[in-house]
Amino acid sequence: MTRFLATTAIATVLAGSAFAVELTVGAANVTGFIDPGRDHSNVGSQFYYNSFDTLVEKNYDKLQGEFRPGLATEWTLVEPTVMELKLRQGVTFHNGEAMTADDVVFSLNRMYQATFPPYQVRARDRLANFDKAEKIDDYTVRIHAKREEPLWETLLNLQQVMIIPEDYTKGLTGDPKVAENDDFEAFSLKPVGTGPYAITQLVPGETLVWERFDGFWGEKAPLDKVTVKHMPETASRITALKTGEADLVTNIAPDQLSLIESDPALKAAGSATALFHVMIMNANHPVLKDPRIRQAMSLAVDRDTLNEALWLGKAIVPASHTMEEFGELYMPELKTFEYNPEKAKQLLQEAGYKGEEIVYTSFPTYYTNGLLAAQAIVEMWKEVGINGKVNVVDKWNGGDADMMARNWSNPMYFADPFGSFGVMWAPKGPSESEGRFNTDAAYAEAWERFRFSKDVEARKAAYAELMERISQDPPVLPLYRPFESWAMNKNVNWAPKPGHIPYVLDFRAGSISFASN
Amino acid sequence: MLRHITRTLFKMVVTLFVIVTLVFFATRLSGDPIDYVVGQGITQEDRDLLTRYYGLDASIWEQYVRFLGSFIDGQFGLSFVERRPVAEIVAERIWPSLQLLLSGVSLTILVAVPLGILAAIHRSNWIGSTVMTIAFVGYAVPNFVLAIFMVLVFAFTLNWLPVVGNSTPWHFIMPTITLAGALIAALTRFTRNAMLDVLSQDFMRTARAKGLSEAVVILKHGFSNASITILSVLGLQIAGLAAAGNVVVEAIFAWPGIGDLLVNAAILRDFPVLQFAVLAVAFAVIIVNGLIDIAYAYADPRIRLGRA
Amino acid sequence: MAEAAIATAASRPGLLADARRIWNDANGVQRAAICIAVLLLIVAAFAPFIAPHEPTAQSLIARLRPPFGFERYREGYLLGTDELGRDVLSRSLHGLQLTLILAALGATIGLVLGGALGLVSGIAGGLVDDIIMGAVDAQIAIPFTLIALLTLAIFGSSIEVMVLVLGLYGWEQYARIVRGEVRRLMAMPFIEAARAAGASGGRIAFRHVLPNAVSPLVVQFTLSISNIVLLESTLSFLGMGVQPPTATLGSMVGIGRDYLPTAPWIVVAPAVMILFVTFAVQILGDWLRDRADVRLRGR
Repeated sequence: MTRFLATTAIATVLAGSAFAVELTVGAANVTGFIDPGRDHSNVGSQFYYNSFDTLVEKNYDKLQGEFRPGLATEWTLVEPTVMELKLRQGVTFHNGEAMTADDVVFSLNRMYQATFPPYQVRARDRLANFDKAEKIDDYTVRIHAKREEPLWETLLNLQQVMIIPEDYTKGLTGDPKVAENDDFEAFSLKPVGTGPYAITQLVPGETLVWERFDGFWGEKAPLDKVTVKHMPETASRITALKTGEADLVTNIAPDQLSLIESDPALKAAGSATALFHVMIMNANHPVLKDPRIRQAMSLAVDRDTLNEALWLGKAIVPASHTMEEFGELYMPELKTFEYNPEKAKQLLQEAGYKGEEIVYTSFPTYYTNGLLAAQAIVEMWKEVGINGKVNVVDKWNGGDADMMARNWSNPMYFADPFGSFGVMWAPKGPSESEGRFNTDAAYAEAWERFRFSKDVEARKAAYAELMERISQDPPVLPLYRPFESWAMNKNVNWAPKPGHIPYVLDFRAGSISFASN
Repeated sequence: MLRHITRTLFKMVVTLFVIVTLVFFATRLSGDPIDYVVGQGITQEDRDLLTRYYGLDASIWEQYVRFLGSFIDGQFGLSFVERRPVAEIVAERIWPSLQLLLSGVSLTILVAVPLGILAAIHRSNWIGSTVMTIAFVGYAVPNFVLAIFMVLVFAFTLNWLPVVGNSTPWHFIMPTITLAGALIAALTRFTRNAMLDVLSQDFMRTARAKGLSEAVVILKHGFSNASITILSVLGLQIAGLAAAGNVVVEAIFAWPGIGDLLVNAAILRDFPVLQFAVLAVAFAVIIVNGLIDIAYAYADPRIRLGRA
Repeated sequence: MAEAAIATAASRPGLLADARRIWNDANGVQRAAICIAVLLLIVAAFAPFIAPHEPTAQSLIARLRPPFGFERYREGYLLGTDELGRDVLSRSLHGLQLTLILAALGATIGLVLGGALGLVSGIAGGLVDDIIMGAVDAQIAIPFTLIALLTLAIFGSSIEVMVLVLGLYGWEQYARIVRGEVRRLMAMPFIEAARAAGASGGRIAFRHVLPNAVSPLVVQFTLSISNIVLLESTLSFLGMGVQPPTATLGSMVGIGRDYLPTAPWIVVAPAVMILFVTFAVQILGDWLRDRADVRLRGR
């Protein structure tokens, strides 16, 4: 019985191409649906890149954006707010339909001019500047922005604007000529794209099967079949790897890495994910209204110790809400957040803090080490005299008026501060709308300069201003970029690519191979 | 007899209706499911939009009526999380749960009944007390403790047995043992007690006096009489223990059954799925109890002949 | 018969003599169970004094240290440290205490609630009896673990909700026992005489019914304690019970499960304690039942 399951997959590789190359992935979470437009979850992001394409591709081997042709072969700004794109010819969808401008216009406008509520929600936070897409001829489309857009390529490379087939989608339910809400609902269970793997089976939350799509326009997929299975327990995933039930498993916490390293048949690959685990604080809670209290809550947290203890020093503790992936907008020189318990004590005294209980809410399991960090943070608060308490709830309470502090994450949805800080902390964005963060005219004005300035220096200056505001009246403390690991059989060569958004399982050509030892 | 069955059926339907209604209103008391459906970090405007889209803006009575209506089309509504009919989701889960249950209960009967008989025959010597002590220890070991230590030894360390899902017969070994563990302990004790009751009765003495061999006396006369009691115990105790055990076992071994579905639906506040899954489990337990009730009635001539 | 039973209950010899008689009656396993139970009770009662550390005191630099006798052992942390560097021994002791308190509270609430409903049901009869017994039947039909899981998932897992859930456990058993006793006694001449003499329902209940129901209730109470310990552990193991940083035995096993291959000591101490508690209580409960049965048969 020992490992016979694994050896079947690996053996076929060694035997050459006459046999099918199959891979089994044990995933902590399997998505409940597949729709790149609707989804922006960390669970979902694992699954899109293998099956869908964007108009503008990126070199994912590089940390910072180097855009290259995808389903569009070239793109030019024909007017300050109008981009014209030439489409690749000979692209077919998994169902055999040929991709034309109609599909592209349909895919883009389902987001830009969304009528389906889940699309409306997704479009508003990142695609609000786009008015519409229109067909010029079968292989040419134009996209109209509302204002001049400094981030064209970035925003055409988003998961949300991956291309799906028009006729197929419209024909799923009801009138085959009209895109009804039910069409999109049905699509999310029977997804079709243009990528190198077709999704041939989806049992929501349990199993997803990819099979090689031979009609793919680019380099053919290296695997014949990939089966992703839901394995929720960390211990089970590692055990499954050892018993051969899985060849590759996701989400291995640093504490478990020693188990992988001590087994000569296994290895791990990991990276500090492009996502911040953060602590948020409610600026409008009566006890926390004084910014000095929130500053103290932030200054009391020794993030380096958290990193050393919980992440074995492998996480990245940021000085500001900034990531290397942002390229020119990466600003490590900003010192927005620091550890200073003395200053925390002093601020508490100045603010007249009288030992009111401050509750830190945590999801029980959602974030790796989230509950441990919560308990540790409350202990660190105690050191400076903050009377903290951990509250463990499964429910998101970020919009409750009585929420005081809690854990959250700020993922990098695309490689720009707008795609990370911006999605969560824009004026009228989710944080302000949930009533725990306030902006004023000055913040909005700085935000506008940051979002739309064409000059990088102007954007940087504006972002620095925003960060200064955040540090003076803090609603958030980024704790660290968590170190996420994948573990695999020694024969599998795979690692997360630095250019992707977090958690993408990239099995395209050049991304995975097998050692022939 | 017919009257008895009709009454039992009527009671079943009423109980199910009460359960469904209770679960519906209890889930609605627990706060807004939209918090779970849409995830974190969206604006109030968008939240309202999705609340309307998922039909959660309607009054609770309207939702209740709609919920009852969903029984008629046989789809039982759409899951909040997966956006497909609840009936489809639950249907996928029934067979794996049933498989696990059947293999667990079979193992239980195969082990516990002989052990119980053995303990009854040897009630006053070391064999009997050893069996009973083991049964007590077995009952005291929580099934999750048994499961995680089996995983540690047989899967993690020895790599003998797989741990996730139900795809091969090998996958059944540890979940079945886990489920059967406490059940065996319980049933052994019941079998022993039932056998002791029977063995002390007059007809047993008569049977022995007729010169039948001890084995025939015990198995034919003793066990066949005790089996009625054992059957009723199986229905009441075992159905309850097994349903609870299934939840734990399915959670540990990622077994794609109803128990796993139920826990996840509860955590994610997927009300349509939750309601129907509870209904399905209650239905199964009630059916089993109902069947055993009828079997029991059939075995008991006073009820069978309608004189009760 | 009933008078005789009351008489036995009333004529109490000294407590010590009682204890000695019980000890002499017990066999080896039962004596072991008595010792374990007494030991666990003492340890639980004095947990705060025995525990060498605060159960929530963390030391992030000394996480996941093994118990005494292993490499990397941390002085003063006999059973090792957990995922936040807390003392496993101290947490187990406090966990045992909380687990037992929860079980005792739960069983008591169930006894009072179920007993009261059974009394009402038996004495009132008619529609009230039908409704209460209907509820009992419905309760028997649904596995209690399911109800507990749902309640905790829906109303959140706080200690208060947990006590409520555990308190509901087994109420239907108590109700049936008490109601059965009521129905049996109601038919007896001396009760009819008492009624004729103008005794109220409440007086009958407390003077006559309860004393007779004591022994089956005690048995049921004991058995339900071990079941409640198992239930609480199961719920906490599934992450639905008492929440961190507070520990119960079950939650320690649940959280420690992730560390089982690397730090099994987090799980072992609480798991062994659960086993001891349920084992001892089961044995004692079963023994009590046998003794009660003997007395019943002797009638």
